[in-house]
Amino acid sequence: MSLFPFFHWLQQTDFGTALRESALVYPTVMATHLSGMALFGGMIFLTDLRILGIAMRGTSVSDVVNQLRPWKRIGLVLVAGCGIMLAWAKAEYYYQNPYFWAKMTLLALVGVHALVFRKSVYNNTAELDRAPVMPTNAKVAACLSLALWIGLVSMGRMIGYYEIKP
Amino acid sequence: MLVYDPSTNPLNNNEWSFPLLEIIHIASFAVSVGTIAVVDLRLLGLGMRRQSSAQLLKDTAPWTLIALAIVLMSGPMIFSSDPNMYLNNPGFIFKMEALLVAIVYNYTIHRKVAQSNPSPVVGALVGGVSLALWVSVVFGGLFIAFT
Repeated sequence: MSLFPFFHWLQQTDFGTALRESALVYPTVMATHLSGMALFGGMIFLTDLRILGIAMRGTSVSDVVNQLRPWKRIGLVLVAGCGIMLAWAKAEYYYQNPYFWAKMTLLALVGVHALVFRKSVYNNTAELDRAPVMPTNAKVAACLSLALWIGLVSMGRMIGYYEIKP
Repeated sequence: MLVYDPSTNPLNNNEWSFPLLEIIHIASFAVSVGTIAVVDLRLLGLGMRRQSSAQLLKDTAPWTLIALAIVLMSGPMIFSSDPNMYLNNPGFIFKMEALLVAIVYNYTIHRKVAQSNPSPVVGALVGGVSLALWVSVVFGGLFIAFT
């Protein structure tokens, strides 16, 4: 089953059309997507580097992870919400864009990453604070997180470079 | 008269260098703005309240600076691909003005206040202005493609 009819339908809804044709709203949504990504990305970067013992060493892993968590959630909702609107407005173009699907695959892997490491790393920070050496699985989680997010940002930028072949 | 032909710039002569440079620019501005934003959230009293703003500034400042250095190297390279277009672009001009103010502010008022662990009112004001300035820079950058 092809998802194309759904993407076609999305694009031609009143909301999709209005968004696509707006000279101000569309770039504003994109700029909000980008600003949210900066705020949110900086927090992920600091969290991962803290787990790796490279940054924020004066602050415990618990303090970094737990205090940034609500802001990461808000950031994700903001960034994903704007992202959905951007894809909605040009759904047919996104459907045909391999970079979009690469980005969505990476996003799914971010979800898998969260499921895999939540229990042993992100919800287990008190244990990490007490550990004399950072456990390997926590370091692996941090490295994978950095790689996934760099990939997401890269694929996000590349979406705009794809030209639909006639 | 300065004669510069952008078509001789290597950035315009292969498919990958320009997007790659943009990705580096975007990823490093995310780190610089994001690390500043963590200090701002503390100044605003909205996050990281178990740490002082002075501590957070000390923790994040080296990363902000490294990322900002990468931003300030990749930016002019991107600019060099088509200087006349950028110089005539209102989004770009706004971005440069906002960037100048944001950088000066960050390394003067913002730093001084964050180091002094300010009262909630002063902190909120200084942190709020900082966030507004950096978001303005990002908006200006994005609007280059739309103005």
